[in-house]
Parts: sequence; structure tokens; C-alpha cells
Amino acid sequence: MNSEMGTTHMLHLILLFSVLSSVHVVTHGDSSTDSYWLLRIKSLLSDPVGVLENWSPKAKFCTWNGLTCSDDQTHVVGLNLSGSGLSGLIPAEFSHLTSLQTLDLSMNSLAGSVPHELGQLQNLRELLLYSNLLSGNVPPELGLLKKLQVLRIGDNSLTGQVPRDIGGLTELRVLGLAYCQLNGTIPAEIGNLKQLKSLDLQKNSLGGLIPREISGCEELQNFAASNNMLEGEVPASMGNLKSLQILNLANNSLSGSIPMDLGRLFNLKYLNLLGNRLNGEVPVELNQLSQLEKLDLSRNNLSGSINLFATQLTNLQVLVLSDNFLTGNIPSNLCNGNSNLWQLFVARNKLSGKFPLDLLNCSSLQELDLSDNEFEGELPSELDKLENLTDLLLNNNSFSGNLPPEIGNMSHLETLFMFHNMITGEIPVEIGKLQRLTVLYLYDNQMSGSIPVELTNCSSLTEIDFFGNQFSGSIPQTIGKLKNLVFLQLRQNDLSGPIPPSLGYCTKLQKLVLADNKLSGSIPLTFRFLSELFLITLYNNSFSGPLPETLSLLKNLRIINFSHNRFTGSISPLSCSSNLTVLDLTNNTFSGPIPSSLSLSKHLTRLRLAHNFLTETIPPEFGNLTELNFLDLSFNNLTGEVTPDLSNCKKLGHLLLNDNQISGTIPSWLGTLQELGELDLSSNSFHGKAPPEIGNCSRLLKLALHGNNLFGEIPSEIGSLTSLNVLTLHKNNFSGLIPSTIQQCEKLYELRLSENLLTGSIPSELGKLTELQVILDLSKNFLSGEIPFSLGNLMKLERLNLSFNRLHGSVPLSLGTLTSLLMLNLSNNHLQGQIPSTFSRFPLSSFLSNGGLCGPPLAPCLGPEKKPLSNTAAAGVIVAIVFASTLICLGLLYVMLRIWCNWKKVSVLSSDAGHEQRREEEKWVYGEAMGRDFEYWKVNSSQVKQQISTACIFQLKVDTETVDHSF
Amino acid sequence: MAFPTLLSFLLSLLLSLSPTLSTNSEGNALHALRSRLSDHTNVLQSWDPTLVNPCTWFHVTCDSNNHVIRLDLGNSNISGSLGAELGELKYLQYLELYNNQIGGKIPKELGNLKNLISMDLYGNRFEGKIPMSFAKLKSIRFLRLNNNKLTGSIPRELTTLSNLKVFDVSNNDLCGTIPVDGPFGSFPMESFANNRLNGPELKGLVSYDFGC
Repeated sequence: MNSEMGTTHMLHLILLFSVLSSVHVVTHGDSSTDSYWLLRIKSLLSDPVGVLENWSPKAKFCTWNGLTCSDDQTHVVGLNLSGSGLSGLIPAEFSHLTSLQTLDLSMNSLAGSVPHELGQLQNLRELLLYSNLLSGNVPPELGLLKKLQVLRIGDNSLTGQVPRDIGGLTELRVLGLAYCQLNGTIPAEIGNLKQLKSLDLQKNSLGGLIPREISGCEELQNFAASNNMLEGEVPASMGNLKSLQILNLANNSLSGSIPMDLGRLFNLKYLNLLGNRLNGEVPVELNQLSQLEKLDLSRNNLSGSINLFATQLTNLQVLVLSDNFLTGNIPSNLCNGNSNLWQLFVARNKLSGKFPLDLLNCSSLQELDLSDNEFEGELPSELDKLENLTDLLLNNNSFSGNLPPEIGNMSHLETLFMFHNMITGEIPVEIGKLQRLTVLYLYDNQMSGSIPVELTNCSSLTEIDFFGNQFSGSIPQTIGKLKNLVFLQLRQNDLSGPIPPSLGYCTKLQKLVLADNKLSGSIPLTFRFLSELFLITLYNNSFSGPLPETLSLLKNLRIINFSHNRFTGSISPLSCSSNLTVLDLTNNTFSGPIPSSLSLSKHLTRLRLAHNFLTETIPPEFGNLTELNFLDLSFNNLTGEVTPDLSNCKKLGHLLLNDNQISGTIPSWLGTLQELGELDLSSNSFHGKAPPEIGNCSRLLKLALHGNNLFGEIPSEIGSLTSLNVLTLHKNNFSGLIPSTIQQCEKLYELRLSENLLTGSIPSELGKLTELQVILDLSKNFLSGEIPFSLGNLMKLERLNLSFNRLHGSVPLSLGTLTSLLMLNLSNNHLQGQIPSTFSRFPLSSFLSNGGLCGPPLAPCLGPEKKPLSNTAAAGVIVAIVFASTLICLGLLYVMLRIWCNWKKVSVLSSDAGHEQRREEEKWVYGEAMGRDFEYWKVNSSQVKQQISTACIFQLKVDTETVDHSF
Repeated sequence: MAFPTLLSFLLSLLLSLSPTLSTNSEGNALHALRSRLSDHTNVLQSWDPTLVNPCTWFHVTCDSNNHVIRLDLGNSNISGSLGAELGELKYLQYLELYNNQIGGKIPKELGNLKNLISMDLYGNRFEGKIPMSFAKLKSIRFLRLNNNKLTGSIPRELTTLSNLKVFDVSNNDLCGTIPVDGPFGSFPMESFANNRLNGPELKGLVSYDFGC
């Protein structure tokens, strides 16, 4: 019983508690539902900054952060949590705050979709969710918010279309959907928004046409739809948007012409149509836009002349018409005395004529860009009337004449681009007055004279580029006054004298380009202060002397080109920047070893030290240069073997070690360099066999191993080099057969195997190398057998040298069809028989010292059995035949002589034209035995007189013979 | 408006940042060529326009004065078209573009290549006419245009090319008659085969472009 009592008591208590607690919850929810939902919302949001900290049941909810309550303190009417660092999803529970008029959650990190439940907030006037991480569609339910005046949900990742339902928001003043990924079209229903003042759709993927219904937005002041994919024409109906102040349709695909109706937008201040496909002329009606301040029509296909006048466009400040096809000149009355125009950009059009003098009335101009047009003539001396000008860009035109001295009065000038014109004369000394001048580009003109010392008064100068003029004299001694100089280019002028030591005080200098001048002397010691320097090119000058040791202090150097000078001594001062990517010291007189410290420049891609007097071996440390693409050490005095560490340089594309005294065998690891395109080891002391692994360098275009002591067979793997253009193995001791696999090198245009010990016959497969063009040289070997008929396939071949071999048999007739052949040498073999008739164009020496060749230019063949006749005997026979034929057809001879006379004229003409080339050929054919040249003439000297008369007769004979044969 | 202003300034700045390139006209010309070509096997990979000259580019050969004298892109599986800029290669002697898939017209500016010895455009998809400007190629010895889709007649002006040794236009769609003057007297008939040509020119009887 007692226990029973206890349990019932207990039950009562529990019941009481549970009732009490439920009552508490209910009363709380009842009396102020908003606070309940707000707390729910708080619990669903992540609030790392703690903005919602005072949202607690302990305080009256109207005191909570960001809240605005109704007058009776019962409902929340405004909630502003903008920029509060909130994240998480937007809780659908907001929909219970039915009194809300303003909801501002902008500039947080809220993700997820815009809850469609927000459509239940029937009192909402402002909904601001912009600049969050929201995704998904714009919920059509927002169209239910009939009282909505401001909807800004841009700068999110919203996708899908702009819902048509938005057209139902008839109270809407501001609609912001910019910077999302919305696609589809602008719904025509937008025209129902009669109250709309601002419509921002920029940076989406909206396509299709701009709906003409937009003209219904009668109150519209700002319409921005730039950076979409809108097409079609700009609707003329937009001319009805009388309140429009800002119209930005830039970077779409709008086409057609600019509607003249836009001229009715009398309130327009900003019109931007850049980056479309608009064509036609700029409508004159735009001149009616008297409020217009900024007009940008650049990057379209506009043509015709510029018909805009500041006399009407009185408020115009910025006019950008660049990148069109506009013609004519700048309109003469663009500016009147009191215009406000301060930016005028008409670059990259087809404007022509002289510098528009009326432009000088635009005294408010600060930035003028006439670049990349067809302007010509001299610059007006009154240029200084543009006294406010800071940027003057006249580059890429055909301006001529001098730079007017009055330019010195343009005291605000900061940027002067005159490059790519035809400016002549000197730089006016008045330029020294320009204290604000920072960038002076005069490159690619025809300016001359010396660089005025006064230029060094322009203390703001950071960039000077005088490249490609004819400036002479020396670099001003006071150049060091330009303390702000970052970039100095004087390349390709006629400057002489030494580099002024003061240049070393331009301590901000990063790029120094003095190449292609006549500068001399040594590098000043002051260069040690140029610690910012990363590019220095001095190539093609007459600099001399050793490099200052202190250059080793310049740790930022990345690109150095001192090639083609007369520098002496060690190159080690240039090997201390670990940032080097390019070092080119070609053609100097540097000596000593190659410093191993170069290997510290891990990013080195090009190292060119050719044509110096460098000694000793290639440093093994070069194996660390794994980025190296171009290594040229040719024409030095290097000795020793090629270090195997170079096999680490897997990016090597060019390896040029020719003309040194490098010894040892050709390393087989070369076959692992898969990027190799050019390998030149020629004229060294390499011995041993050519490694078959070389066949793995499948990208090789040029392989030069000539002038070494290589022996053994030419590896058949050479046939794997299917990209090869040039193969030179001459002047070695290669023996054995020419590998037939060479036929796979189908792209060969130059093949030299001469001066080796090659035996066997010429492989007929060589005939497959149909791209052979420069030369096929097999001379001075021990090749035997007959000349393969297939060589007649080498239709592009210009030079063929088979001389000094043991070839026998006859010359295949097929060779006669090689019409490209300019030089031929078959001499010093055992060839016999008739040579192809087309070979008569080659000199006698091409065939000398053979067994018994005949046919022109050699003695004629008399028959298959008979020995070729001696010259005198041949002459006798010819004379006999001539007499016989003369008797037979005297009349015919007369006609033939007439024909011959015409023919002779032609042949004389063509031989004159080919004279120089023939001289070259002779040199080549006779090779080292120049004496034979004279012998040749001596042999024939007795017949010179006869030759003239017999030539015609001989021709006759041949003609009659061939006629006979053809019958 | 700040954006376009900034952009145009950036553009001009970008242009001005590379002034060192502006008189490397041969390198620029080749680089422009590259931009017109589709390079399926990356043979033009080494064509770095930032180098002082194109002499170390693969498939380009220079003389000792760093002027381009050879362009070897035969059998290189490239397509696209040629442009006027090739005419800038004033020192070019060998233009080897054979056996590719290059199409479009042969630019008339190739006629400016006064030092050209050999022009091998055979085995491509060139169309249009043989430029009359080729008559200016006073050094040319080898002109091979065979196996293309060339139309029109053989320009009579080519008969003045006294150095011409090889002229091959076989396998095209040329019309008219075959010239007989100058070097054309010695070219074999195979050089004209497979066209719509009407045999050798009969001066005074029919016009040279008879049947075009």
C-alpha cells in the first residue's frame, strides 16, 4: 500500500512536470511566435563571428542583433544580417516570419538553394541575398511576393532561367541578378515591371534577344546586361526608356546597327556597347544625348566616319571607339572651348589624315590614344595646347617629321608612345622639362642624332625604349640620374663609346638591352650595384676586356646575352646567379675552363658558349642542369671525353659540341635523350664505333658525326631515325656496306658519307630517299658495282657526287632524268659507255678519269664496240660528215643556221644569268685539284676557234641523226 | 567605364612589353605562320617567339647572318593555310612544305621571295590559281606544285623565269594550254599530266586560257 501510494505520487509529479514544461513551450510559442522561429533559425545557422549571440530567450527579442520590430514590438519586420559571416543553408523557417518586410542576408557564406518557402513572406518588400554561395534555381515562388520592391540575389552560383513569374512583381524597383550562371533568355514579362528603376543582369550566360517588351519598364534608369551571350539587334523600342541613365550591354553578341532611337534617351549618362558585333555607322542621333558623360562603342565592327560633336555632347567626358573599322579623321568640331572630354580612345581603327588640329581644342584631354591607325604627316607644334595631357599614345601610325620641341611644355605628360612611326630628327632637348614622364617609347622610328643629356633630367622615367632608330654618339654620361629606371632598351642604333659608369647607379634597373650597336669598352665596375637586374643583352657590339669579378654579385640575373663581342678572360663572373635561364656568350674570346658553378643555375635552359677559346672538359656537374634544352659548346678548344652525367639532361634538344678536340667514343647514352633534335659532334677526335643506340633518338633532325676517327660499320639502326633531315658521316673511317636501312630515313635532304672506307655497291634502296635535295655525296670511298638505276628516282637532288670510287658499268639512263641536278661528279671511277644525253650540260670534269665514258660533253660514242675516238679524230669525222651533209642539203643548212642564230641568242642570255652559279659549280666539281681547271681549257684551247663553227654543225648532225632514228 | 579603359590600357601595355620582337620580322612571320597551321604532331613546338631570331627553331635553317634560308616542313602532318606573312622571309631559298594537308590559296606574297631557289608545295590541298606574282621569283629553279587542287591557267608570266629547271603542276585542275616559251620548252609532259590542260600553246590560234 505504502509502495502503491509512493508510485502514484511519483506519477503525479511526473505528470505535473510534463504538463508544466509543455505549457511553458506552448505559451512561449504562442505569445511571440517570431522569437521561436528566430531561435530555430539561429540553431540552423553557423555563426562563427557570434553575431547571433544575443539572440536568446533571456532578452526581449526586439533587442536582438539585426532585428527591426513592428511598432507594437510583437513581430519582426526587418532582419538585417548582412556581412555577418554566416554559413550553412538558408533555413526554410524564415517563411514563418510572416511580418517580415525586409530580409537582408547579403554578403555571407550561405550555401544551398534559395528556399522556395520564402514565397510565403507576403509582406516582404526587400529581399537581399546577394554575395553568398547560393546555388540552384531562382525559385518561381518569389513571383508570389507581390509587395516586393527590391530583389537582389546576384553574385551567387544560381543556375537555370530567370523565372517568368518575376514579371508578376509589379511593385519591383530593383532587380539584381548579376554575377550568376543564369541561362535562357530575358523573359519578356520583364516589361510588366512598370516601377522598375534598376535591372542588373551582368555576368550571366543569358542568350537570345533583348525582349522588345523591355520598353514597358518606363521608369528604368539603369539597365546592365553586359557579359552575357545576348544576340540580335538592340531593340529600337529601348528608345522609349526615357528615364534611362545607364545602359550597359557590353560583351555580348549583339549585331546589326546601333538604333538611332537611342538618341531619344535624353537622360542617358553612360552608354556602353563595347565588345559586340555591331556594324554600320555611329548614328548621328547619338549627338542628342546631351547628358552623356561616357560613351564606349569599342570592339565592334563599326564603320564610316566618326560623327560625334562635343558641341552637342557637352557633358561628354570619356569617348572610347577603339577596335572598329572607323575611317576618316577625328571630326573637326569634336571639342569646343569648354568641353569636358578627358579620355579619347580611338585606337585600332582605320582613321587617316594628319594629326587632327581641332583636337587641340580639347584642352581638358588627359588621355589620348590614336594608336594603330593610318594617321600621317607631322605632329603639330601646338601639341602643347593639350596641356593637361598625361598619356599620349600615337604609336603604330605613319607620323613623320620631328618630335616638336613644344612637347617639353606638356608638363603633365607621363606616358609618351611614339613607337612604330616614321619620326625623324633628334629628340628635342626640351624633353628634359617633363618631370612626370615615366614611360618613353620611341622605338621603331628613324630618329637620329645623339640622345640628349637633358633626357636624364626626367627623373620620373621608369621605362625608355629607343630600339630600332639611328641614334648615334654615346649614351649620356649622366644616365645614372634616372634613379627610377627599370627598363632601358637602346638596341639597334648606332651608339658608340663605352657604357657610362653612372648607369650602375640606376639601381632599380631590371632590363638592360644595349644589343646591336657599336658600343665598346668594358663593363663598368659599378654594375655590381644593379642587384635588381634580371635581363642584360649586349650582343653585337664591340665590348672587350675581362668581365668584372663583381658581376658575380648580381644574383637575380636570369637572361644574359653577350654574344658577338670581344670579351676576354674567364666567364666565371656570370656563373653565380642561381636564377639563370639563358646564357649566351657565343663568339667572344673567352678563355679558361667552363665553370662548374654554372650547374647551380638549375633552371638553365639555353647555354651557348660557342666560338670562344674555352679549354678543358665539360664539367660533370652539368648533369644537374635537368632543364637544359640547348647546349652549344662548339668551336672551342675543349678536350677530354663527354661527361656521362650529361645523360641526366633529358630535355636536351640541341647538343652541339662540334669543332673541339673532344675524344673518347661517342657515348651510347645519347640514345636516351628523347628530345634530341640536333646532334653535332663533328670535327672532334672521337674514335671507335658509332653507337647503335643513337637510333633511339627518334626525333633527331640533324646528325653530324663527320670529321672524326670513327670506324666500323655504320649502324643499321640509323634507319630508325625516320625524322632525320641531315646525316653527315663523311671524313671518318667507316667501313663495310652502306646499310640498306637508310631507306627508312625518308625525310633526308642531305646525306654525306664521303671520305670513308665504305665498300660494296651503292644500295639501290637509296633511290627511296626521294626527298634528297642538297646533296648525296658518296665520294672517296671504295664503292664498287654499278650505279643503281634507282638513283634516277631522286627527282629533287641538286648535287650528286660519286667520284673517287670503284664504280663500273655504265651510267644508268635513269640518271639522265634528274632534271634538278645542278652539280654532278662521276669522275675517277671505272664507268664506261654512253652517258645520258642530258648530261651534256655538265662540264667535262664531271666525268674525267673513268674507264670509257662517251657522249657529250665527252667525245661522242661511235658504236657499242668501238673505242671512243680521240679529239682530233672526232673532229675529222665531224668535218667529213659536215661536208657530206652540206652537199646533200645546202638549202636546209641555211635555214638551220638561221634557227641556230636565234638559239644562240637565247643560250647566251641564259648562260650569263647562270654565270655566278656556274663558277661555284666548277669550284665544287674540281674540288681540290684546281690545276685541272686550267688543263681543261688548255686541252680545248686548240679547238676554241673551231668550236664556234663546229658547235652549230655538230648540233645539225645530232639533229639529223635523231630525225633518222625517229623514222 | 573603368573596366574598358583599364582593358585598353592593359592591351597597349601588353603590346609595349614585347618591343624586342618588333624587328624580328622573320621570326614574327614564321610565328604568324604557326598560328595559321594545325600542328598535329607538335613539330612546331620549338618555335619560341621570344628568342631573338628563329634560327634555333627546329625545321628552320639560317645563314651566317641569321636570316632564314630554309623552311623544312615536308611530311609533317600539318594542316591549315598559308598567309601573306611568308613573303617577309626575304632570304628564303628553300620552302619545303610538301606532303601535308595545307589548304586555301597560295598567297601571292610568296612572289616576294626573291632569293627562293626551291618551292615545294606538292601534295597538299592548295586551291585557287597559281599566283601571277611567281614571275618575280627570279632565282627559282624548282617549282613543284603537283598534287594539289589548283585551278585556272598557267600564268604566261612564268615563262620569264630563266633559271627554272623543274616545273611540276601535274595532278591539279588547271586549264588552258601549256606555255612553250622560255624554260617551258624543256619541261617534260609528265609535269603537266592529269589536269584539264589542252596541250601546248598554239600562239595566235587560240588564247592561252582556252577552255578555262
